[in-house]
Amino acid sequence: MQAGFAAPGRRRMLTGIAYSLVALAMTVLAASAAAADGRSAAWQQVLREAAGQTVYFNAWGGDLAINRYIAWAGERLRAEHDVELRHVKVTDIAEAVTRIIAERKAGRDEDGSVDLLWINGENFAALRRAELLYGPWTSTPPNAALVDWQGNPTTRIDMTLPTEGFELPWGTAALTFFYDNERLADGPAGPAALLHWIERHPGRFSYPQPPTFLGSAFLKQMLLVLVEDRERLSQPVADDFDAVTRPLWDWLDRAHPAMWRGGRLFPQSGPAQRELLAMGELDWMLSYNPAEASRAIRQGELHESISGLHFAGGALANSHFLAIPYNATARAGAMVAANFLLSPAAQLRKADVRHWGDPTVLDLDLLDRDMRRRFESLRNDEAMPGPASSYLPEPHPAWTTALEDEWWRRYVR
Amino acid sequence: MVATLRQVMRPAVLVLLAVAVVPTVAGLSAAVVLGLDGQALQRVIATPGVGMSIASSVWSGLVATLVSLFLAHLAVALAMAGDWQGRLARLTLPLLAMPHLAVGIGLALVLAPSGLLMRLLSPWATGFELPPDWLTVRDPAGLSLIAGLVIKETCFLILALTAALAQVPATRLLSQARTLGYSPLRGWLLAVAPLLQRRIRLPVAAVAVFGMTNVELAIPLGPDLPPTFSVLLWRWFIDPDPAMHAQAYAGTLVLFAVSLLAIAGIAALGRLAGTLGERSAASGARWTGERPWRRLARAVLLSFWLLGLLAVVAILLRSAAGTWRFPSVLPTGDLLAAWRDVLPIAGGVAGTTLILAVATAIVGVALTLPAAEACHEGPLTRRAVGAWLFLPLLVPQMTFLFGVSVLLARLRIDGTFVAVLWSHLIFALPYLWALLAPARAALDPRYVRVARTLGATPSSAWWRVTAPMLARPTLLAFALAFSVSIALYLPTLFAGAGRIATSATEAAGAAGSGSLRLAAVHAILLALAPLIAFAGAYGAGGVIGRHRQGLSP
Repeated sequence: MQAGFAAPGRRRMLTGIAYSLVALAMTVLAASAAAADGRSAAWQQVLREAAGQTVYFNAWGGDLAINRYIAWAGERLRAEHDVELRHVKVTDIAEAVTRIIAERKAGRDEDGSVDLLWINGENFAALRRAELLYGPWTSTPPNAALVDWQGNPTTRIDMTLPTEGFELPWGTAALTFFYDNERLADGPAGPAALLHWIERHPGRFSYPQPPTFLGSAFLKQMLLVLVEDRERLSQPVADDFDAVTRPLWDWLDRAHPAMWRGGRLFPQSGPAQRELLAMGELDWMLSYNPAEASRAIRQGELHESISGLHFAGGALANSHFLAIPYNATARAGAMVAANFLLSPAAQLRKADVRHWGDPTVLDLDLLDRDMRRRFESLRNDEAMPGPASSYLPEPHPAWTTALEDEWWRRYVR
Repeated sequence: MVATLRQVMRPAVLVLLAVAVVPTVAGLSAAVVLGLDGQALQRVIATPGVGMSIASSVWSGLVATLVSLFLAHLAVALAMAGDWQGRLARLTLPLLAMPHLAVGIGLALVLAPSGLLMRLLSPWATGFELPPDWLTVRDPAGLSLIAGLVIKETCFLILALTAALAQVPATRLLSQARTLGYSPLRGWLLAVAPLLQRRIRLPVAAVAVFGMTNVELAIPLGPDLPPTFSVLLWRWFIDPDPAMHAQAYAGTLVLFAVSLLAIAGIAALGRLAGTLGERSAASGARWTGERPWRRLARAVLLSFWLLGLLAVVAILLRSAAGTWRFPSVLPTGDLLAAWRDVLPIAGGVAGTTLILAVATAIVGVALTLPAAEACHEGPLTRRAVGAWLFLPLLVPQMTFLFGVSVLLARLRIDGTFVAVLWSHLIFALPYLWALLAPARAALDPRYVRVARTLGATPSSAWWRVTAPMLARPTLLAFALAFSVSIALYLPTLFAGAGRIATSATEAAGAAGSGSLRLAAVHAILLALAPLIAFAGAYGAGGVIGRHRQGLSP
């Protein structure tokens, strides 16, 4: 402030303003410092407790790049916080859920075998229902403040079930169709066009077998674009199930005979379908991750002629989360691990197709400029579709189970 | 009988039986208690496709058992008739040593429409630029699953038959049949095979039970919609809904009942075959023109053998391949890069797998040798102990492992190294006993007696006389226990509570989710480690035998 050039009266006034500004700033600073101290004292306590702990992180282990990413996080956690992160690779997180339920039954309410879970949807709902999750805890890790809670409602609502602080968002996803652009020029972006293509190219389309994650997602995506009243799906299933889902079964009944193996066998999972695409048995694959094909091409696991699309009617979207079981042995360690996985550096690496390519849950506006620029410079490439026309929230979880059961009833011999 | 009882009461035998039988019986009882739930049973029965699922388990298991048994007899008969000039053991070893999971994963990579076989033939012979849309793997009739089982179980039954040969005057019987004018193959099948068959009933039953209840081959090769019953149960068991667990427990009892019925069925079939054989013998036909039949039999056996070896090649190719578009035979791209990506991940798991296998082999041999020493003079005891040890192989793994995992959780030792080691011992001990007990009993007791007369204490007589004579079978037993441990999937999964990852659990998990490349990477260790172990055992046996006359191979 160049007070020397101002008139005395004005100078006094300015000085007064300056003083009060400083005072205000100091108050604010002091207050926030106190808040930060309060939180950080609690957090410091968590960090102290976590040091030396081993965190058994139960997470799907079917993807090399993801496994490597988790291994990287483990190295960083060891170096920075003396926390040992062990990736328990499960075929389906339901295995870990099963184990927690079994431990509850066996009366093992402490020293559980699972410390941290990669989870969402049905499995989260099952654990919440049985009250087998620790929480609410998600306001404790400092990095949770960076999450895009408002802009991305799927971070708060997990397939219509509010998370209520029992799970922390880790990444977000939208169902993407990938196809071989040497075999078809323009991807059919709706159910009618897709059916038309399938009937003209017998044996070249399939989807992962429900009830695997992506198989059920395919059923939901098709239902969402085929159903008359989309709103109906956010409510639980009632006795109108047959009427509501009829268009889906009509579509499948027509498409199955022209699908891979005549619709009598389905790829066992998303990665299985990707391998079939890579080997030349299929022209299509599905993924929740819009960057999946780019990443696979970069890693040499898929040929380069792949394009991605979202259905014109909107893409099924959701987030995936981190949760801590009620009987976790290393609760503090799990929180420290979760906080690290939400840090801008970890989220940046996760969003990078060279490592994983999973879209971040952070609000970029809350990051510092440099970090924000680094997020924005993660280049999109040809195999990655643009943003979807709209992001369709998951139906109520009851629909998933009902669809899976009905699918099984209809298509098992 | 008193002597027998006293022998059973020896501490070494007691410890051996306690380690093996207690968890089996306890697990089985727990499975029965947990599984007897009327409502859950009703839900099992009401599951869509469950009848088909059970039928495809029984069908694939039974057909595979019968075909394997037939081929095994044929192979041994051909070998004794002079084909392969005594190389049968060496020919079967690589496939015998290879775990079921590796065979399953490899075979899927060979037989699929985009698999190695079609690639070798396309497009020059078939004209296919895209793989045909054929149901060759995971076919509804279970043929690919049966092929996988036959490859493995034929080798196992050949081993069982060769072991039984020692107890049968085969050469004398065969030459008598030849003197009577029977052709070599026919003479063998009429005179020797029935005697052998009687001695391999337990192994045949084990093969049948495994065939009907395994997941190792059924995951990569079995049908789906519905899957085989064991795979269906396995999926229920990992479902988050507790109601499904009750269903899975009840289902394992159904599996148990079905396998008991099937064993009874096989026994009846065996008697029928015996009667038919006798009737055929009474006809007096000599089959002098059997040469073309022998050629056919050789071709069938060889093609199964080659299929097994191709599976290993396919595993190696797939593990290295980044992209591998049909119809190129070899993968493209930077193969070493693909390996660099995978090795750090597969490496740690491989370490655990090997440590566990070595520990199983050491503890297993340490438990078996003293017990074999204790009952080397009692053939009845030996057989009784053998039958008890064999029990886990006659019960569907799932049925008692469910029970065992609940017990381990109650004891709070689930997921520990010791728990997994214990579960591996349960499955390694029957093989160790089958190898070491007869080997110890076959030693001429006069060697030890002479040593004792020369002033050796019992323990120094054991170390300086008995031990060197047992070195060769012990090394083989070591390699066998090692291979058994490497291969075990369900025991590792249940006892390890998902915390102990081995190459088998990783390979099965990857195969279950259809990631064949990842599965192939882990399967390489599964395929190669046992081979190396056996080669090592033979090599070391040769070294030990070099300076000891009379310990001929």
